[in-house]
Amino acid sequence: MEALRCLPGVGPKSAQRMTLHLLERDREGATLLAQALQSAVDKVDHCTRCRNFTELEVCEICSDTRREASVICVVETPADVLAVEQSGSYRGLYFVLMGHLSPIDGIGPEELGLDKFQRRVVEEGVEEVILATNPTVEGEATAYYLSDALQNEGVRVSRIAHGVPLGGELEYVDGSTLAHAFSGRRPVE
Amino acid sequence: MRVSLQPAYILHGRPYRDSSLILEAFTAEHGRISLVAKGARRRARGGSTSALLQPFTPLLLSFSGRSELKTLTQVEPAGLAQALRGQNLYSALYVNELLMRLLHKHDPHPRLFADYTLVVEELAAEADVEVVLRRFELGLLEQLGYSFSLCHDGHSGEGLDPEAWYQFHPDHGMVASAGAYRTVQPAYRGDELLAMSRGEFAGENRLAARRLMRQVLAVHLGDAPLRSRELFRARTRGKGE
Repeated sequence: MEALRCLPGVGPKSAQRMTLHLLERDREGATLLAQALQSAVDKVDHCTRCRNFTELEVCEICSDTRREASVICVVETPADVLAVEQSGSYRGLYFVLMGHLSPIDGIGPEELGLDKFQRRVVEEGVEEVILATNPTVEGEATAYYLSDALQNEGVRVSRIAHGVPLGGELEYVDGSTLAHAFSGRRPVE
Repeated sequence: MRVSLQPAYILHGRPYRDSSLILEAFTAEHGRISLVAKGARRRARGGSTSALLQPFTPLLLSFSGRSELKTLTQVEPAGLAQALRGQNLYSALYVNELLMRLLHKHDPHPRLFADYTLVVEELAAEADVEVVLRRFELGLLEQLGYSFSLCHDGHSGEGLDPEAWYQFHPDHGMVASAGAYRTVQPAYRGDELLAMSRGEFAGENRLAARRLMRQVLAVHLGDAPLRSRELFRARTRGKGE
């Protein structure tokens, strides 16, 4: 029960329910879960190229030859990679920072492997870097830091657009988001 | 305790559980406080509170709770978020880190809050970063009770001689440079210090002012270095190559 409580959102009561369920009704499932966890912890490591989680040396996305190798999208977390993948709108490669620049948390450029990323961009002759860090203050700082570092490398650097979400109502959107939406408006084609 | 519509800025936020945030806020009348914003990362009708709960946005916060960690009950914008870019954004992060490190919780500093508001506005207006930061640092030291005179000798109490050299001593302030620790500690000319006391940090004073502030702040910050300085360092290094 104590072990299950390390999961987010699992309190004492839920932990008790899960444990009793596994022991009383689903011992097979429990073994499966235990083995899956063990093998994940043993085998999963960071991809040497994009730093995403993978069981392989180089992850499936990085080694997929059908993807455009000349475009790299920089995201903060593996969950962001999944989100972009599910949107199905992007066919390039990724670089996962595993966080963002945040001096107060003690995270600087080194912890994020930004110098490594810069080397990769230069060595592989990347044409475009898409900065898809979150539109938070720290995410912006990270994006600016990267664009500054890549300034002289002859790479096109772009930042994802910020604006009103689909299905949203202008009335409830905050001022800064609206300001972004207006400054980033596009002519109707 | 219930506080309503308190002017505040967020210094730092981090995710908590599935949809909440834990925030460090700097408020006008209650100093630095910790808040939990329940459900702030959940989206409602296209807008979410987490968009508001960003650093450098003037806010009105309502919160309640008796424990150390207050619960955020209401948040309203008190103005537009300051659009900080590049170098000025780094500087603003540096200011936040200073406050996080030096301010004690629940210690009200209304004047410092006014200074902070000003510093954020000036940085957004692309003013001279160094002058803005030095002025804020001096104000911060004064508000925290760490101030020292920039126009009098800390030992003799006499006015500074523009031609003489002085050193900073944590207990006495500026003292005439003695042979004892000349080699270890940096020294400052009297006229540089007098100019700083008049609030002049530009031009020739720039370097001396930065060195002095760094030295003074180091005394109060302890051993751990300020991480936001790395952002600047990497930038200057990149330029040098």
